[in-house]
Amino acid sequence: MSYVIAVDVGGTFTDVVRRGSDGRTVVAKVLSTHDDPVSGVTTGIRRVLTDPSEVTRVVHATTLATNAVLERKGARVAFVTTRGFRSVIPLGRYARVEEDRYDLRFTPPPPPVAAEDCFEVAERVSSRGAVLTPLDLDSVRRAAADIVARGITSAAVCLLHSYANPVHERQVAAILRESVPNVAVSSEVWPEIREYERATTTIMSAYIGPLMSDYLSRLRGSLRELGIDAPVHVMDSAGGVISAELAARRAVATIESGPAAGVLAAAATGLPAVVSFDMGGTTAKACLVRDGVPELTREFHVGGKGSFGGRRAGTGVPIKTPAIDLAEVGAGGGSIAWVDEAGALRVGPRSAGSSPGPACYGLGGSDPTVTDANLVLGLLSSASIPLSRALAVKAMERLAVPLGVSAEEAAEAVHEIVCASMASAVHVVTVQRGIDPRGFTLVAFGGAGPMHACRVAERFGITEVLVPAHCGVASAAGLLTAVPATERVRSALSAPDPARIFAELAGEAAHDLGLPLSELRVTRLADVRFAGQAHDLTVEWSDDPGTLSARFFAKYTQVYGIAQQGATEQVSYRVRVTHEAETPEPGGIPAESVAAAPTSRTVYLGGPVEVPVHTRATFTTLDGPAVIEDPEATIVVPPGWRARLGGAGAVHLEHASDLTAWT
Amino acid sequence: MDLTAEVLRHALVVAAEEASIVVVRSAYSTFIVEGSDASAAILDADGALIAHSMATTLMNSMALKVALPEVRKDHPAMRDGDVYVTNDAYRGGVHTNDLLVFRPVFVGGVPRYFTATMIHVSDLGGLSAGGMAPLATDIFLEGLQLPPILLATDAGVVPSVEAVLRANSRTPDKVMGDVRALVSGTAVAATRLRALIQEYGEAGLARGIAGYLDYTEERTRAALAELPRGRFTAAYPIDDDGLDPDAPHHVQVAVTLTGRGAVLDFAGTGPQVPAAINASASQSLAAAVFALRCFLDPSIPMNEGCLRALDIRLPEGSLLNARSPYPCGGRFVPIYAAMEAVIQALSEAVPERAIAASGILQPFSIAAMGAPYWIHLSYDFGGVGARRGLDGPDATGVHFGIGRNSVPQAEPVESRCPLVVESVETIPDSGGPGRWRGGLGTRTVYRFLTPCHVTTRGDRLRIPPPGREGGKPGRLGGFFKRSADGTVERLASKVNNVLFTEGEAFIVETTGGGGLGPPSDRPREEIEADLRSGHITEPGAHRDYAPRGLTRSPGSNATS
Repeated sequence: MSYVIAVDVGGTFTDVVRRGSDGRTVVAKVLSTHDDPVSGVTTGIRRVLTDPSEVTRVVHATTLATNAVLERKGARVAFVTTRGFRSVIPLGRYARVEEDRYDLRFTPPPPPVAAEDCFEVAERVSSRGAVLTPLDLDSVRRAAADIVARGITSAAVCLLHSYANPVHERQVAAILRESVPNVAVSSEVWPEIREYERATTTIMSAYIGPLMSDYLSRLRGSLRELGIDAPVHVMDSAGGVISAELAARRAVATIESGPAAGVLAAAATGLPAVVSFDMGGTTAKACLVRDGVPELTREFHVGGKGSFGGRRAGTGVPIKTPAIDLAEVGAGGGSIAWVDEAGALRVGPRSAGSSPGPACYGLGGSDPTVTDANLVLGLLSSASIPLSRALAVKAMERLAVPLGVSAEEAAEAVHEIVCASMASAVHVVTVQRGIDPRGFTLVAFGGAGPMHACRVAERFGITEVLVPAHCGVASAAGLLTAVPATERVRSALSAPDPARIFAELAGEAAHDLGLPLSELRVTRLADVRFAGQAHDLTVEWSDDPGTLSARFFAKYTQVYGIAQQGATEQVSYRVRVTHEAETPEPGGIPAESVAAAPTSRTVYLGGPVEVPVHTRATFTTLDGPAVIEDPEATIVVPPGWRARLGGAGAVHLEHASDLTAWT
Repeated sequence: MDLTAEVLRHALVVAAEEASIVVVRSAYSTFIVEGSDASAAILDADGALIAHSMATTLMNSMALKVALPEVRKDHPAMRDGDVYVTNDAYRGGVHTNDLLVFRPVFVGGVPRYFTATMIHVSDLGGLSAGGMAPLATDIFLEGLQLPPILLATDAGVVPSVEAVLRANSRTPDKVMGDVRALVSGTAVAATRLRALIQEYGEAGLARGIAGYLDYTEERTRAALAELPRGRFTAAYPIDDDGLDPDAPHHVQVAVTLTGRGAVLDFAGTGPQVPAAINASASQSLAAAVFALRCFLDPSIPMNEGCLRALDIRLPEGSLLNARSPYPCGGRFVPIYAAMEAVIQALSEAVPERAIAASGILQPFSIAAMGAPYWIHLSYDFGGVGARRGLDGPDATGVHFGIGRNSVPQAEPVESRCPLVVESVETIPDSGGPGRWRGGLGTRTVYRFLTPCHVTTRGDRLRIPPPGREGGKPGRLGGFFKRSADGTVERLASKVNNVLFTEGEAFIVETTGGGGLGPPSDRPREEIEADLRSGHITEPGAHRDYAPRGLTRSPGSNATS
């Protein structure tokens, strides 16, 4: 029998799932080893490993790139650009949002490359690709010498209009590579118009690349020591898997690797209209999945501020490589509740994280968190570690006393506020995009997701919630369903020969994956806008201009709610290639719950109520209020909801109109 | 007490936010491309500001707030589905290119709330394409005026209004695209508001909103009470009015901190003039409120509750409260002066939060000389003044103009307009020297491939922003014309449709921020760090800081 092993390294836990060719799965959850993630990964794999020679593939999702950016631990990067533009990165682009706007002491976030590490070379190419000023090779050699003299070993090259003509960038890269070990080039990384975003995308690749390359080669070394010689695949931000080699070369494409894997688990349910809802310790994330395909975005901001479920453009570093289009709010189990100076109850954005963690963990935390509130309400009883209700009550009293209410009332308000906050992530991916969420199924996972899912669903009139088996290790499970896929782009304003561009892009993308084009499904896309407008939308290409325009008008209406027609133009061309040959069967992880007799306990729902407590093995249908406990998560069935055990161990929750609603 | 009031407050801001997203993404006007100048707000029937979108500048939400009662006065009977527009600068508006759009939301048969949106539209006539008329002597030269009128009904934009707007625009299709975006934005926010009325009930929503405004007022008053009581005065000059370079103009303020309130009295400010350096009252109100808020807890929400604690007095017929037909298009010149005056007065009151004066934004337009029109309408930012304990940020949209920094992108501009962006650079040594250094200005160079017109609207290009407490002023920027033979000539700060020919270049240099504290107190490590990063040059270091034994760090490329 052959096996596939999926590994998801998260902030707190490393999850490992092994699936055999017979469909049987084994799961391991071990603590992540932050300083060297490889050791946590190998510990986890050892727990599930039988015969290493039968492992055919290792699929990996990692937060290495994200953490490197958030903690500013990437390589020192030298930035090389066209003469006259070395200030552009230090000047940066940022929006002052929310409280920053009235802050006279606001200081811009430090740029991804320090001013003194930015270099210029003499050259100029026009927007149509014509060479206006030939490249001065001596200016490149001077920059290279300076970079080496400073001890910098990673460089990013982004020259103006290189998407239209990369000849100068290639010459610069060739010279730099003689003395600089790692060189990322914008026309290779992401040749799309707008030099600032193209530069930051390239810089981030240079920033993360050496780390990623080193990490993956050490990982493969450790796997070989375990006897595993199978290829290692890495999940990219858009939910495709790419080879470890490509992941190292285009590291920027893996920044959203972890969250993307979770969305794939929701996609794997096979339902036609899904809102994926993932709530962990510090954030909650939502994503729309239609017909099994997650929505993608072609610009996101890393390390920026989130607000109201959207990532504020301009508050982080823009990245142009495609990513699953997630909305994210800083609301999770560890979010801290507090009373502001005018007496209003607030939750987050500060989180207790895993250290010290919620007060009830007994690890020294004393701030009241969402997890503490859920414990006080009786919604939660235990987790992978023992919980202290007494400590949770004590923490809740820090809110209850100044507010003049009971600990239970304060806890209920915290629960309500955090549900509303998470709902705003769902709001962003549905209502704000002109999509009616009624009729969608909310697929809930992550440690805290199933506890809040029904309340979030109610806010949108969503009547179906699904909690997959092993919802606590859903991201690792999602990796098993991923297939090789990648994307290529090139900007050219209404190119005369799009067919040639598409053919070239498809060839490059196939080369990226190391697979013959004949085995790949090729999707052609174009970025279209109204002539003269600044914002474009990505739509599926058609050789018929009328059809292409019609697709653009339809998307425009969907996104902005305005039916408008007019002359259009194309800005960029994209090809997405997907390997269809090994599409795995969806879902299908049997649950492993222990069949014990149901118990009961008191929960607080506007007053104490005794409710039954089940596992997935002790019921087939169940009316709320009730609680279903998994080893890694707790499902709350509120009054008005009915739980049913479905195929593959999934729990289906339905809002039953004949039952009294929990209001 | 309502434990979950935060949920409703959040929902109100999100409703406004959604409206602004629709406007920003679907509008045509290049001015709002980055979402910086698009606004959306939710108001009550009396014009009290309930919530506004995150990118909304106070300039815009104050305009919407002041104009709404004027719209209601002219239209006592409104119907559900009606949408109104105005740009009347003397009744809350800003200037002719900024359209204010309002939609009533009915409760129990009467308009109870209004959703409102606003942007600088692509063109509505006037002296130059895109809405800049720096040498206008009355408002008629600035563009089409719209008193409060019915813009749209359930059936769409009123055809006669559309005909008038089209006839008065150089870019009729784009203007109608902008107008439709504004109307759609109000519809999105109205839908959300109706959902909230359903969820909370009419009385419940009203109670929740009242609680939100009271909460904000309480936080504002508590923050004001922490400031020292007293009367603090300051004045700030304006370079010139663009017509008479020698006529002096200034803005003056007396800030009285009364404990849980504040009075900002602008008596003594210069009279309105027949030149484009006047402001409408709503814009001056915004400047005063913004500058004061910079000295309060920045996390206080912005709504009517905050305004209740403040008494802003704007003398009628002054530069800060102009009457018809005095032009208002150049309003940011007097209101930046007003803001600086308030900030300098409060820097006296709260020295630990003091900030030196700043360079400001410098708008300009580059336009085709005839049809087909292309236009590049943009602004570069000056450096911010040094703060006590902190250097000033470089070339940043500090203060409230825009509240963001956006470097112009050469690639999209060159793809759209017949020009070459030669460089975008910070100017070394342009930050005012001091213990804490002012932020740098920038230099951007546009070389033209065809003849075109350049229009500018600058200030603080003749009188530099002063330093504080021994700090030196920031370096003056300017607008310049470089001839094909390389000679560079300074333009006046406010010029209209200057002809540039092929091969000539337009140079925009922004002014640096003032320094704070004596330069001799700046530690050597910080001077050396500035040398490494290129904030200062070696000659500049010796001239401005005269450090002993300063050596250039090896490998520095800062001044190459």
